[in-house]
Amino acid sequence: MDNGMEGMLDTYLFETNSLLDRLDEMLMADEKIGDFSTDDVNEIFRIMHTIKGSSAMMEFSAMAEIAHHIEDMFFYIRDKGIDSLDPQHKKELFNLMFRSEDFLRGQVEKVESGEALDTDIDSFAADINNFLKKISGAPAEQPEENPAAEAPQTHPAALDHLPDDKEAVCFLHVFLEDGIGMENLRAYMIVNAIQECGIDLRYYPENMETDSSTAASIIEEGFFMAFTSEEDANKASDVLRTQNYIRSYELAAVPEPEPEPEVPPKEEPVKSAAPASAPKPAPAPKPAPAKQAAAPPVKQNLISVSLMRLDSLQNIVGEIVITESMVTSAPELNQLSRDAYDNFMKSARQLRKLTDDLQDISMSLRMVPISGVFQKMSRIVRDMKQKLNKDVRLTLIGEDTEIDKTIVDSIQDPIMHMVRNAMDHGIEDDPSERIALGKNPQGEIILSATHTSSEVVISISDDGKGMDPEKLLAKARDKGILTKPESEYSVKEALGLVMLPGFSTNQEVTEFSGRGVGMDVVKKNVESVGGVVSLASEYGKGTTFTMKIPLTMAIVDGMKVTVGNSIFTIPIANIRQSLKILPEDVIRDENDNEMLELMDSFYPVVRLHQFFNIDTDVTELSDGIVMWVETSDRSFCLFVDELVGEQQVVVKPFPAFLNYFELKNSGIAGCTILGDGNISIILDIQSLHSAALENA
Amino acid sequence: MSEQLNNQEDIQDVAEMETDELSTIDRCLTFESAGLILYISTNNVIEIINNHSITTLPLMPPYIKGIINLRGQILPVMDIQQRMGKGPTEFTGSACIIVLDIDSVSLGIIVDSVRQVMDIDLKNVRPIPLKHQQKLLNGMVTMEDGSVFMSIDCQALAVPQ
Repeated sequence: MDNGMEGMLDTYLFETNSLLDRLDEMLMADEKIGDFSTDDVNEIFRIMHTIKGSSAMMEFSAMAEIAHHIEDMFFYIRDKGIDSLDPQHKKELFNLMFRSEDFLRGQVEKVESGEALDTDIDSFAADINNFLKKISGAPAEQPEENPAAEAPQTHPAALDHLPDDKEAVCFLHVFLEDGIGMENLRAYMIVNAIQECGIDLRYYPENMETDSSTAASIIEEGFFMAFTSEEDANKASDVLRTQNYIRSYELAAVPEPEPEPEVPPKEEPVKSAAPASAPKPAPAPKPAPAKQAAAPPVKQNLISVSLMRLDSLQNIVGEIVITESMVTSAPELNQLSRDAYDNFMKSARQLRKLTDDLQDISMSLRMVPISGVFQKMSRIVRDMKQKLNKDVRLTLIGEDTEIDKTIVDSIQDPIMHMVRNAMDHGIEDDPSERIALGKNPQGEIILSATHTSSEVVISISDDGKGMDPEKLLAKARDKGILTKPESEYSVKEALGLVMLPGFSTNQEVTEFSGRGVGMDVVKKNVESVGGVVSLASEYGKGTTFTMKIPLTMAIVDGMKVTVGNSIFTIPIANIRQSLKILPEDVIRDENDNEMLELMDSFYPVVRLHQFFNIDTDVTELSDGIVMWVETSDRSFCLFVDELVGEQQVVVKPFPAFLNYFELKNSGIAGCTILGDGNISIILDIQSLHSAALENA
Repeated sequence: MSEQLNNQEDIQDVAEMETDELSTIDRCLTFESAGLILYISTNNVIEIINNHSITTLPLMPPYIKGIINLRGQILPVMDIQQRMGKGPTEFTGSACIIVLDIDSVSLGIIVDSVRQVMDIDLKNVRPIPLKHQQKLLNGMVTMEDGSVFMSIDCQALAVPQ
């Protein structure tokens, strides 16, 4: 595949995925109310049309074909109006559409991973067609399967057949192909297509759009389009050539064309009293423009930008901010005269304001609403609801909360896992259990997202069984993961057990959850983006998981400390306290490991210079500074030489070359460029704890 | 070599490449390190810098000197003399950092001094007879004045030991 094709493939994947997302959103919304809105039917039709077209272009024929069948189906539904379907059909339609969406998504995934596409789609295509037959068979009076049987003979366009239309100067007499079914609608589509080209016409039989019985006469005698000028008729015949399903057409002029010098192109009411052509143009063209108006999808003023470009933009903006502070604090400025200096500072302040704005905007570019993730959850709940046969509703709160794109990607799996857990383990199997407890028989899962100043708080709560601390403890005992006598566990600690590796309360592994990996993976994922997970549960009332995640990982409030010649940055969020200590405060164990007693607990001391092998003159604990740091559940002390100060820093990842050395596992999160151009290393307290204390 | 070209280029370009290959001249930057004269294709060289303060990184092998801030880019810096198993390069006035781009991996190497850019005919490059003893070098060539230049293996350089 050459580059051009690959670029097209990217575009195709992006476009198709967004279309499928949009489809999913609509289906979910519509299923909730149990009905398709007319707009959505149109939209689905358009989506399928686009997918069909672009898939065919990319030669993914399976997708194109399925999309084509669905398009046909929605074409029918669109024309008939969704209300022509009875509730049972609608339900089937929803299931069929979800299946189709899954199929298309599956294919797209295969395209993405470079696998061969499915070729065996016949049965699925047949399912769609059968459904179409089912819904089209019911409302239509005549079975449309057998029009082919009575093959129409070619009727010469005898002039006496021409419908009575006083204003018409020209007629187009069109015959459709044999056996295409729904002839009246096909004919109407053709008329519509011509009308869309801005050509004014009337058509006969005029009720063919709504009356399916006209299909028979169209099969027999074709249908007519009447034009008020020959020019229009010629234009229309050009359009006809582009239409499908047309066997033949003839242009016929009215025998005695009445001189009609100024024919107004738009709906002039026909004054003719002829019964065959009762004045109708007014209602007829109406539906067409209406449809046209709905046709162009609401244009979003959005573009897609690769994350890499945003990253480099962010980097450059970060550099500008730093360079700006280098310029404005340059020592050479002192040599300026007072006036010149004032002028300079005035401009510098202006610059500072602009760079601040620039930084804010470049940060906000990376923010995306969390609704995409939430939307996927409603789909999961829907599917599990059917499989598990539980009646649950999902309430979404704060869908438009915005978070950093990279964070969205890494919290999707944790959220999915917790939602599945809530569905599987949380909500009671039997509604009667719920009724007995005085709860609404329908279970509820609430997924909410809110902002605080620096964090996004996402919570997943269910009103189900809740967790029984006793059971958790018993389970943990069986698994042998208790670290102290059972009686010493508080309720909170007992709940915390579910976050431990190898803990899964469900006895059997189900399709959806309990695959041996459990909450510990959730916890790990969330921690990898700097967040924390906490859990509250009341037995019998429900469970709430709360994730707190920093808004962005790109900028960190940090405390700069020195060790030897190196400058380290400790994220302020991790700092509990900084203290000066006296030599006699230090407690040592038999291996000479140092500890400190702070607030009635003992905490180990990690000497940063020892751990990182840095030469420094400050080796006495009492000479330097002890930083008491903590992450979600670990707390310890770091010994450093000196505190330098607080600063907001832009986190830069290490160059790819250094990934080999696994810095992330040795307590280093990244680096940042300080105002003076020097580099400071940002510590990762979590992994520092693992590296220095757990694996020591 | 030609196989690689086939992979990278479109079929119609191959003919063109082959004619190119007939003239196997490569522009190379020559420099000194560990008492050897080394060269590297200018295709891999971005720039030469000196007087940069290197921030040491903890827990690194000795030959990784640390990182530098090159106009906002974080660039790892390696001492190739140490990489070749010798002592660290002494920082004299002529020592400098050559910034390389090897398959989009950016990397700085510290060398004793940089000599010049010259054309080296790849046809004249011989393999080093001592097999499997070189960590970083993959060829040698004798120049007109009788001096021997060694070729740095960029791929080996880009993979940490």
